[in-house]
Amino acid sequence: MSEVRELPLVEAIREAYRQEMERDERVFMVGQDIAGGIFPHTKGLVEQFGTDRIVDTPLAEIGMYGTAFGAAMEGFRPIVDFMFAGFFLNAASPILAQTAQFRFIHGSQMSLPMVITGACGAGMRLGNEHAMLVHNMIAQVPGIKVCMPSTPYDAKGLMTAAIRDDNPVAFIWHLGTMMDRGPVPEEPYVVPLGVAEVKREGGDVTLVANGFQYKNAQIVADKLAGEISVEIIDPRTFSPLDIDTILKSLEKTGRLVVVDESWESRSTASEIAAQVVDRGFDLLDAPIRRVTIPNIPLPGGHMEPYVAPNPDAIEAAVRDVCR
Amino acid sequence: MALGKKQMALLYRNLVRADHFDKMMMNRIMQGKLIGFYHPGDGAMAAGVGATTFLDENDIVNPHHRAHGLAYMAGRGIDIGRYLAERTGKVDGCCGGRSSFHWSFPDKKVYGASGFIGWHFCPVVGWGWASKRKGNQMVLMASGDGSYGQGGAHEAMLFAMNWKLPIVFFCENNGMAIHSTISDMHPMPDISSLAQGYGMPAVVIDGQDVFAVAETVIAAREHALAGKGPTFVEAKTLRLREHDVGTPDLARAEPREAAYLEELKKRDPVVLATTRVLAEKVLTRKQIDKIYQEAKEEVAAIEKFADESPVAQPSIEELLAGVYVA
Repeated sequence: MSEVRELPLVEAIREAYRQEMERDERVFMVGQDIAGGIFPHTKGLVEQFGTDRIVDTPLAEIGMYGTAFGAAMEGFRPIVDFMFAGFFLNAASPILAQTAQFRFIHGSQMSLPMVITGACGAGMRLGNEHAMLVHNMIAQVPGIKVCMPSTPYDAKGLMTAAIRDDNPVAFIWHLGTMMDRGPVPEEPYVVPLGVAEVKREGGDVTLVANGFQYKNAQIVADKLAGEISVEIIDPRTFSPLDIDTILKSLEKTGRLVVVDESWESRSTASEIAAQVVDRGFDLLDAPIRRVTIPNIPLPGGHMEPYVAPNPDAIEAAVRDVCR
Repeated sequence: MALGKKQMALLYRNLVRADHFDKMMMNRIMQGKLIGFYHPGDGAMAAGVGATTFLDENDIVNPHHRAHGLAYMAGRGIDIGRYLAERTGKVDGCCGGRSSFHWSFPDKKVYGASGFIGWHFCPVVGWGWASKRKGNQMVLMASGDGSYGQGGAHEAMLFAMNWKLPIVFFCENNGMAIHSTISDMHPMPDISSLAQGYGMPAVVIDGQDVFAVAETVIAAREHALAGKGPTFVEAKTLRLREHDVGTPDLARAEPREAAYLEELKKRDPVVLATTRVLAEKVLTRKQIDKIYQEAKEEVAAIEKFADESPVAQPSIEELLAGVYVA
């Protein structure tokens, strides 16, 4: 078998952009400074596709988002880049009140094929607005899909799936994974939305983790190897959520820890816990543990390492359910 | 550009139809035969009719919320029966009875109404962007003076001028936003003065004159399709009734004076248009009577269609299936 090429996650995303824009001329990108690029995820695209398809806008998220929103109604397939995912909140009204609910409320006549993207995450001490993960805020609203990659392979596959999907999809990526390298096939491929993956097999405990926290989960699983056998499940998509893959794992392990880089309350961790209790109560041999950010705004400075989920907190939770 | 007699007759007919639709909605909400609110358009139906009657079917229309866009629907050739069915929660409603008053007719390129006044300043940028790419269409973006309080209005004007988008910002200025008067809420009496800051051509016209509105919008449309960018058209209009049926008709916290409202009624656009079509011999009294008779019959057919349509109460499973594209 030939060696699969390795790419950093950010280049995997860019390759998805490039290949899908080559494949379908309805696809275009709109954002702020994407021709130049704060992050390298759009580097070189303007040279290939021009300013008609790599569209820079003023610092005005309503107008920027509206470029994508309106064009999607007119048959285009826009990707709108908020740079930092938290900045989506400047256009939260049209995204959450309109875009997500538009199709349903207007009688399921329209489709809005668009990708809403941005980077985020603890680790760079940027404070709440730049760092906070917004996947749960978006995923609460029906009508929009939400995903986040943990590996370069998933980054390209999920982005390709998001661009080809006829629904609005929020694709959020974690700054702490930006330069992670991993195998990425050169040809276009899709990682289906709404399908979780067992990323590490184990028998004692099911550990659900995603994005940067997926790396922390692997660190913990490596450390505990020989003592506790950890099965890691990456949900990949928060909405729709693939609960069946988690329930199947619990048939084997009976123990569940969910890591979610989000507030403790009303998070994906809470949602998974609720669904597991609802549908898999008899599978559980121990209480479910959530590893999340306590219900405080994510501070900058030197507090991220212990406020955000981290290997120590994950290990403690795993040990707790395996007592 | 002067209108021909045929064009004037069509405008007149659509104005009478729109006026009948508004009265139909007033009657129905008073009878409890309408779901949601009704924001009457009485005395202010000319602007929407004039703005839409001569658009191309490729053009995108965002209707003003007053009268729930009925003036724009009349000009656009939208099936009012399906609209009324929607407003009564029926299966033949244009949105399957789900939308309350947030209707849409995407096949007519009316992509939706929203309860958030000024929401359209967001997608209008994309409508304009797409229209410029396609090259054979423009956007009529209608809204009221109140909507220009939204920050998005300024983003939309900024983007539209930056990119020379084919958009007509069509502002119906009736001087009132619910109970607020424009003199309290805007520093300048003309909303179109905002356009100056973006270098956007702007014009103030009499929104009670359906013919003047049509002439202006035709010219602004040509300007847009020639690649010259957006125009701001401010149509001065009025509000004869309360903001929405069932709420008091106040200006600030005081009832509006009866004498003032009587004065406004002299500017009823149907009265003005009737005088003109008779004076210019566009239509005879007999032809006008026929237009009225046909409008009455149309309303009767609309109500019959909506009333006979079954109530929409699909199962939860059916509703869930409508959230995402499969």
